[in-house]
Amino acid sequence: MPESKAKDSVATPAYLSNLTPPQKGERVEMEGVYYKIAAPKDVDPASIYFVQVDKDKCVGCGECTSHCPTGAIQEMHADGQRGIVDSAVCVNCGQCLENCPFGAISEEVSFVGELFEKLRDPNTVVVSMPAPAVRYGLGECFGMDTGTYVGGKMHAALRRLGFGLIWDNEYTADVTIMEEGTELLERVKHGKKPLPQFTSCCPGWVKFAETFYPDLNGHLSTCKSPIGMLGPLAKTYGAEQAKIDGKNIYTVSIMPCIAKKFEGLRPEMNASGYRDIDATINTRELAWMIKKAGIDFVSLPEEDPDPVLGLSTGAATIFGTSGGVMEAALRLAYEVLSGDTLTNPDIKVVRAHEGIKTADIPVPNFGTVKVAVASGLQNAAKLCDEVRAGKSPYHFIEVMTCPGGCVNGGGQPLEPGIREASLFRSTIAKINRRFTQRRPA
Amino acid sequence: MKNKGILTRRGFIKMAGIACGYAVLGYNVTREACAATADFVGIRQSSVYAADSKRYAIRKSQDNPMIKKLYAKNGFLNEGPCGHKSHHLLHTEYEDRSASLKALKAKGVKLAL
Repeated sequence: MPESKAKDSVATPAYLSNLTPPQKGERVEMEGVYYKIAAPKDVDPASIYFVQVDKDKCVGCGECTSHCPTGAIQEMHADGQRGIVDSAVCVNCGQCLENCPFGAISEEVSFVGELFEKLRDPNTVVVSMPAPAVRYGLGECFGMDTGTYVGGKMHAALRRLGFGLIWDNEYTADVTIMEEGTELLERVKHGKKPLPQFTSCCPGWVKFAETFYPDLNGHLSTCKSPIGMLGPLAKTYGAEQAKIDGKNIYTVSIMPCIAKKFEGLRPEMNASGYRDIDATINTRELAWMIKKAGIDFVSLPEEDPDPVLGLSTGAATIFGTSGGVMEAALRLAYEVLSGDTLTNPDIKVVRAHEGIKTADIPVPNFGTVKVAVASGLQNAAKLCDEVRAGKSPYHFIEVMTCPGGCVNGGGQPLEPGIREASLFRSTIAKINRRFTQRRPA
Repeated sequence: MKNKGILTRRGFIKMAGIACGYAVLGYNVTREACAATADFVGIRQSSVYAADSKRYAIRKSQDNPMIKKLYAKNGFLNEGPCGHKSHHLLHTEYEDRSASLKALKAKGVKLAL
């Protein structure tokens, strides 16, 4: 079933010809966060600061420090303003940015300038790859209620923005389950690789594991994350199905996350013969682009993605929340191990809001599958220490960096409550600062 | 004697000032408390589970027809999950990044772990 090249059927949108895209090096405010327009190429992502603190806006309240899982954001200046110690220990999760009451933290990498250029280029087919969690946050930027599902409207908006093929990262979430589930079953049955197996979907967690627990690398699933899978599939299988040349495809990963910008730049992500992921933007940047294009998001109809690399399941959409990857994997593992059909796919015991959740899942014809879900890296560290000590009883451990999962990712729309309280907090912070300054250190 | 009321002018201003102070404090504390209890993350999470059970007709990855097509005998990944082509395109290896951490600790930088 070849897909039609949708770009031919929809004329180039009018706004694209008279729009001035932001230029390289410019600073643009998008949904309350400042971004530097920069599209790095062939750079070691470990040397890039993806988030940075604006010294003039920081009042030194320390809210960011309390949300940082690694201690990478610390007091760096005499007045107590914060800064990132070193890009090597920052996992780019962006929880500091999400929780800063003063909007003092900015993003240093934004591909939107280049993306607008590519959308205008008639020789390039721009492919959309939105993550599950984006569709539960995007609506908030347009005044809709918290958590409103806007998947259909999002696909419609992407089509109107001039994306040539609307593919969806949820499809490769399903592929991830097939690959990662099979890998887990191999580990359980053959024992060639060690147990427990850790999930590898979350780029913040992967960098954290590589930095702080490199001895456990063998426990990390070798599967790329869903976006790491869709990039190469789009330029090989997808190109074949849509009858276009892989070299004309420009893949855009749309994420609720800042750390995915790091992942997209990893040098090994070129399995397709090209760069697998050409650009990475997040929910706030997509909302800004839709507004810039003058699209009335709220009144858009609900549209489906292009099917071959777009059709997805409930198991894929729950990747956006803590415990979701685990639940989706168990829906596969149960059927494979027992040989039975799983009649009720709800496995509520692994759904996590915060902290660590553990469960023993009885599987007929097999025994018990022991699993753990960690929400937040401080919790993950506890489970890692157990594994290191050889005391971990689990088969499979899911880790997500952001508390609650991707729906609370660093690239999601800001929670209004945090900024609302800022006037009061800034006054208190100023008083405290004067008080500490008066006393000799 | 002058008829002294319960409250002098000065006393009233003082009282009003204190009351205002408490009101501002109370308003802000309540607002922050409200913002904290309005569990944004929880609302987004329940929206995800609602979509899983109500919006998506298929709820298991292995039942997705496009997944079946991908792994079919004549499909793109015909060796099945974790086959050769899968390993080339969809799997990866990890790097030991702890050297930079050791260098920082040697410089005396204190981290959370």
